[in-house]
Amino acid sequence: MNKIYGEGETAVNALRDVSFSVKKGELLLIVGSSGSGKSTLLNMIGLLDRPTSGKVFLDGIDTTTLNDSELSSFRNSKLGFVFQFANLLSDLTVLENILLPRKIQRTNESTVDDAKKLLRTVGLEKQMNNRANKISGGQAQRAAIARGLINSPSIVLADEPTGNLDSVTAEIIVQLMKSLVKKLGQTFIIVTHDKHQFGDVDRIITIKDGHAFEGEEQRGMEVAAS
Amino acid sequence: MDYRVHLAKRMLTNKKGSLIGAVLAVSIGILVIHVNFVIFQGLYDAIVRDLKDYRFGDILVTDEENYIDKADIALINWFERIPEVEAATARMDSSASINATNNGKKTEEFRIPVVGVDPLRDTHVSTIHNTVGDGQYVFARNSIVLGSRVARDLGDIQVGDDVKLKFVSRYGEDKLRRFIVTGITSSAGGQGLDGSAVVHIDTLRSLLGRTDETGAILVKLNDPTKAVEIKDLFLRSFPTDDFKAETIEESAEAQLSGFRSGIALINLIGYFGMMSSAFAIVTIQMMLVSSKTREIGIMRAIGAKRKDILIIFIVQGMIIGVIGAAAGTALGLAYTFYAKETKMEFQGSLALEVTYNWEKTIQTALTSFVLAIVASIYPAFRATRLLPVEAMRSV
Repeated sequence: MNKIYGEGETAVNALRDVSFSVKKGELLLIVGSSGSGKSTLLNMIGLLDRPTSGKVFLDGIDTTTLNDSELSSFRNSKLGFVFQFANLLSDLTVLENILLPRKIQRTNESTVDDAKKLLRTVGLEKQMNNRANKISGGQAQRAAIARGLINSPSIVLADEPTGNLDSVTAEIIVQLMKSLVKKLGQTFIIVTHDKHQFGDVDRIITIKDGHAFEGEEQRGMEVAAS
Repeated sequence: MDYRVHLAKRMLTNKKGSLIGAVLAVSIGILVIHVNFVIFQGLYDAIVRDLKDYRFGDILVTDEENYIDKADIALINWFERIPEVEAATARMDSSASINATNNGKKTEEFRIPVVGVDPLRDTHVSTIHNTVGDGQYVFARNSIVLGSRVARDLGDIQVGDDVKLKFVSRYGEDKLRRFIVTGITSSAGGQGLDGSAVVHIDTLRSLLGRTDETGAILVKLNDPTKAVEIKDLFLRSFPTDDFKAETIEESAEAQLSGFRSGIALINLIGYFGMMSSAFAIVTIQMMLVSSKTREIGIMRAIGAKRKDILIIFIVQGMIIGVIGAAAGTALGLAYTFYAKETKMEFQGSLALEVTYNWEKTIQTALTSFVLAIVASIYPAFRATRLLPVEAMRSV
């Protein structure tokens, strides 16, 4: 896929001929320096933005053919999001935040039980009735992970999930995500500028000047598929 | 509860300042309409009440051409047989010049309206006798009650003074008669007989040479809503006579038509005030959308559709509308209650005739509610146009 912002002389190629695939249960790190295009790539995968050219397939479906409403449903059911600033809704409690994607889905499943189970998994059961703006940054990020998992998505996309946390809390979040990959077989695509924080992961893709490369360092080989 | 309603409620209650501001905008709009209604409709109804009580009754019967030549007692008995009629009385109208001598100074006033009343029956139909603040109502053939303005113009005539009235009879003759002033009448708001003189009807008939005639029959009903029905029955019962029968609304049309236009204009201004409230809601809702941009982005990212965002902000408009309409209506009704219980008046003017108009109350509340929703549509639409990626960048 390609992503170009602007037109004519002011056009910026944020992503150039990027193509790769992700296996189920994989923990994929997308690394790169600031402004390299890694968040843009995550937005394309997360269906929050559309590529200028190219296609994004998710569970075998060409998402570029979907309209806005279908994209919303797709995001809701197939994707989970964890943002740098947790991005919980401050008007809701922790539990309500975690339930929100399920409520948007309007399914009749036992939502509260699932949410409580997830809260236990991320170690937040005692804070579940606290307002989202009354918990610490690390707790908020754990709640955001739980929210990202509530609809059992195909992929959880995390954009600098530890970028706003101290090193101790960041380590807790990293270990939590890694344990979820192992325990639940959950696919994670994590954008970070600090790959060392994550230790061993299944795969790393490096973004530099809009190009994607397999591995930690640029080896002169653009990623085609894996 | 639907999550959109829950979220709309939470977003509003967590922005108490905005909620209070928007609710105040709606409720003040409603309150203004209630206050306008209490004052101007109350004034209008008070004038109608006083014109009815002092001059026209619920039904006024006159003759198309001149004076009624049928015996007044026959007509009064006809009316008083009807259960909905409380009482009826005869009156006679004319005019006269009035002379008075006060402290040796002679004063004369010309073309003063003179009303002839039946002292016994009139008190059952009209409340004009209650406006006699000084002295008492007409009780004898030679007694006269002067309107306060007439008494003043005649050099501050007092009860017990005598005045001389000059009439022109039906034959063109001047008829002079001396009366003793037994009372001075003065009505709040001046809808009474402040500019007239009141005498015994038989005296007036005699002076005018119209002993078997009557100027008008005033009818008081115990159920004023039956006025049209009884008027029509009367006209059908006397098809060959030249009677003219009018309800109070018809009799007082000349005095009331201009006032009605004024009330319509005031109401229009009130509704413009309500429109201003709607603009205030638009502004407040825009501020809410602006302050919730990041949240809108998050919701869109996790799967909320444009329609869901639209519903959240429309529901906020509905919440503002419901609370604002309830608060405004409560305040309006409280003001109406206060005005009614205290018989509100302004600087000694006539007491307002305050009524609860439930139809108008509901209509005003519903209009405000609908306006609050309509005012939320544009901000809600703006919220749906936010792109998730852009919205989430907002801090």
